Amino acid sequence: MNTQTLSTSLPLVAADTGRTPNKALARAGEIAARFSLGLLAPLAILALWQLASAYEWIPVQILPSPRQTWETFLDLAARGELGEHLSISLARVSWSVLAGGSIGLALGFAIGLSARAKAYLHPSFEVFAQFPVIGWIPLLMLFLGIDEALKIVAISFAVVVPVTVNTYKGILAIARDLLEVGRVYAFTSRQTLLRVVIPSALPSIFSGIRQGIMQAWLALIFVELLASSEGLGYLMTWARQVMQLDIVFALILVVGLVGFVLDWVLQKTENHFLAWNPKGL
Amino acid sequence: MTVKLSLQNVRKTFRSRHADEAFVALDDVTLDVEDGEFMVVVGPSGCGKTTLLDLLAGLTRPTGGQILLDGKPVAGPSLDRGVVFQQYALFPWLTAQGNVEFGLEAKGAPSAERRETARRFLGLVGLAGFESHHPHELSGGMKQRVAIARSLAYDPEVLLMDEPFAALDAQTRETLQCELLRIWRVSGKTIVFITHGIDEAVFLGQRVAVMSSRPGRVERVIDIPPEFKAGEDIRAHPEFGRLRHEIWRLLHEDGERAREDERDARRLAVAA
Repeated sequence: MNTQTLSTSLPLVAADTGRTPNKALARAGEIAARFSLGLLAPLAILALWQLASAYEWIPVQILPSPRQTWETFLDLAARGELGEHLSISLARVSWSVLAGGSIGLALGFAIGLSARAKAYLHPSFEVFAQFPVIGWIPLLMLFLGIDEALKIVAISFAVVVPVTVNTYKGILAIARDLLEVGRVYAFTSRQTLLRVVIPSALPSIFSGIRQGIMQAWLALIFVELLASSEGLGYLMTWARQVMQLDIVFALILVVGLVGFVLDWVLQKTENHFLAWNPKGL
Repeated sequence: MTVKLSLQNVRKTFRSRHADEAFVALDDVTLDVEDGEFMVVVGPSGCGKTTLLDLLAGLTRPTGGQILLDGKPVAGPSLDRGVVFQQYALFPWLTAQGNVEFGLEAKGAPSAERRETARRFLGLVGLAGFESHHPHELSGGMKQRVAIARSLAYDPEVLLMDEPFAALDAQTRETLQCELLRIWRVSGKTIVFITHGIDEAVFLGQRVAVMSSRPGRVERVIDIPPEFKAGEDIRAHPEFGRLRHEIWRLLHEDGERAREDERDARRLAVAA
């Protein structure tokens, strides 16, 4: 995916800039060119949107114009409503990532490190992983009601699966010869875990956490659409019910933008800490 | 000269998944390695060379017989033996410096001393200036140099090397062979070097243990006279050719015999 291209091209950028201004300039031009290529599709959609609303191919009540959407967005932001609901949504994601991530790490380490734990847990986990988060919600509603607990638990489910899978896969994929080096050095199992197993599985674990956070963001919006009285998803449902579709559109853009920024930040963090890993998992 | 490492009637069998009887990897291997000696073990693939090295490193235990280091039985891996693997086995998340320090950390050296020692050994293997490079930024030959520095840095008494140059190109291999001899002379370590290359065995070893396969045994131990090794291009020396041929003949005969055994076994299987 684009993770790969980004992480492999980064060292090149670092190596090339600063050599000669000309080269740096050429490089900057290249990046700008690539970036603007990526912008073509969104711009085309924007243009189509503008046309569709200008010629009223779709009634204004259903498809607000880009301009009106933008103004609504500014208005929501200025009134503080957007920030309020966004921070509630982000708090939910954070708690779920914390809870689901911890459980996922624990499960992943257990399955990866102990053959017995793997024998007990792995088959059930495989089945659990097949259920989409949405599938759990009716059941969870019965047990937990529709309060905060429902949201946190449902979103956590979305985090547990990728974190667990990537953690144990990372641990099981450790090169045998690295473990042997640990044995040659007469490492205790604690030393082996800290000095060999964890560093070696870290790229995979990190990628699991990243996937988990992105899954959490998707699950969050869904859960908030279904049952909530605050948060971005709730605001969207409410706006749809009162036929304020400009708000719905503005929020769709916000959700997409936040997701994009989240992924970008996580990717940068990963590149920064795992620069030794040229494969860029 | 005192005996450093002693293998006495060592036998190693593995339970085979297909056959009823156990697979005999090593049978009745007896070999003494003297203190400070450069001993090369040469043999065809599948003769149990790597099994032998795992036993010496203490990674596995012999099924029969015993292995003594300084007269005491080897009970497991320990920092008195260093191992250099064929595939380098460097930690990709550590720099060259970090990889070398790693072994020192295992020994519990203080950090200033670790840094200093690691630098010195990277210098010894010709990698001064590459301390902060990660393995993926180094060539195969450089990686193996780091691995050698790592194994030397914590000052083991015996260095065990498992076909360390097999994955390198011919030129790099020759360079590293010369460097290894130099390092051996400087450090005075006891080295057990495992290879399937006959040239490499004659070039490096003071003695060469020739192994036969199925089951793995030490067929003969050949002394490499030190005199002709003083020369410039020792591979061109007639004595080099003679020794090379002698080892080749031993391995070749063993290969022929193994093939005949296989034919017989197949004939028996067909008859049955």
